[in-house]
Amino acid sequence: MKTYLIMCRSVTSAQRAARLLENALIRSAAVKAPKDLTRSGCGYAVRIHADSERAVKLLRSREISIGKIYLTEDGSEYREVSL
Amino acid sequence: MIYLDSAATSFQKPPQVLRAFVKTLGEASSPGRGAHRPAMRAADAMLDMREDASAFFHFKDPERVVMTMNATHALNIAVRSLVRKGGRAVVSAYEHNAVIRPLHACGAEIDPAGGRAFDSEELLRSFREKLPGAALAVCTHVSNVFGYILPIREIAALCRENGVPLIVDASQSAGVLPLDAEELQADYIAMPGHKSLLGVPGSGLLLCGASAEPLLFGGSGSDSLSREMPPYLPDRLEAGTQNAPAASALSEGIRFIRRHGREHIEAHEKSLCRHMVELLHGKDGIELFLAPDESEQSGVLSLRITGRDCEEVASRLAADEICVRSGLHCAPLAHKSVGTLESGTVRLSFSPFNTHGEIEKAAAKLIKII
Repeated sequence: MKTYLIMCRSVTSAQRAARLLENALIRSAAVKAPKDLTRSGCGYAVRIHADSERAVKLLRSREISIGKIYLTEDGSEYREVSL
Repeated sequence: MIYLDSAATSFQKPPQVLRAFVKTLGEASSPGRGAHRPAMRAADAMLDMREDASAFFHFKDPERVVMTMNATHALNIAVRSLVRKGGRAVVSAYEHNAVIRPLHACGAEIDPAGGRAFDSEELLRSFREKLPGAALAVCTHVSNVFGYILPIREIAALCRENGVPLIVDASQSAGVLPLDAEELQADYIAMPGHKSLLGVPGSGLLLCGASAEPLLFGGSGSDSLSREMPPYLPDRLEAGTQNAPAASALSEGIRFIRRHGREHIEAHEKSLCRHMVELLHGKDGIELFLAPDESEQSGVLSLRITGRDCEEVASRLAADEICVRSGLHCAPLAHKSVGTLESGTVRLSFSPFNTHGEIEKAAAKLIKII
């Protein structure tokens, strides 16, 4: 299964993003980001499993501040992807 | 008991405000400090409140709605973000010590505008004269002592024309009077959560139209490797564990106002004030302080009784379970403008929960005291 993590600068941004995606019928959750993926210490992300391109487009169009996007498939290591 | 001190804090709260507070206290922990359910519930409560406030005040970005302990806290952040030592701050002649003291502490030169009582034209003239070259302006929307509604839209427009950053103190207006952040375009709008927004004590808001400097430093749950506060809002201004139960209560307060209609609440409070004025007007020994134009008077009324100390009047009312505020109301500048600095005043302030029957009982008691 694919899992995308869209990095957010704060819990507020992550939750806003998750709410926006849920309203657009994209299943999502605000989660704590894995430590390896946060350069500056603690951070949050939005987790989704599908509709990644639509999700990112939507967040950008609504001026939600997002950072890098990571993908893991079936438990593999996270790798950065560009969408 | 008849509670007429809502300008200090609204004592009567809608039951759903209290329920929301207790529910979040029982279910939520610390926002931004984990991803477990209680932490995320707390973060949800904070975001709900930001979204409710953002929609209610027509403020574009919920992430720039910062939760504070009260309006004083919010005003301190705003003042500290704008004041450089020696900079000139133009303020209205009705400002509270929550504005004057932080300005003084930051070394600002305080330059009051419009010292003539309840004269909006003179106030605007004075702002127009003083704004060029000022470092910032601070203006209350409503005098906490006299209920006088200042021409805040016009003052905001003057600040924009002169390129002077503006801080609006909406302590007595948020939740009752129209307050449109998009229209005002102020740099900061500060307000309490526990007055007319009907939230609980320990809550306030700062709507940040501009970047802001932290007043408190500490954990934010983000950027933990940095010794600096994060550069983005709300984290930059919200160090330490935030008051999620109070955020939930504030959300419910705002929703209550939306359901009942802000305009309806405004009309009700103004009608209570008008009723009190009608009952007291012309009575020998009672001096009322009112804006000459009724449209400039909110639901706050100050008065004096000849030969009676205002504290004595308030104590006698309190003995009969009528709760009012007396003295200088932390706003000596406003009393100086109106000529009541020596005596102080007795202040009656109304809420959505007061009734005309209560107004009649309080007026009768005041007349007895004369």
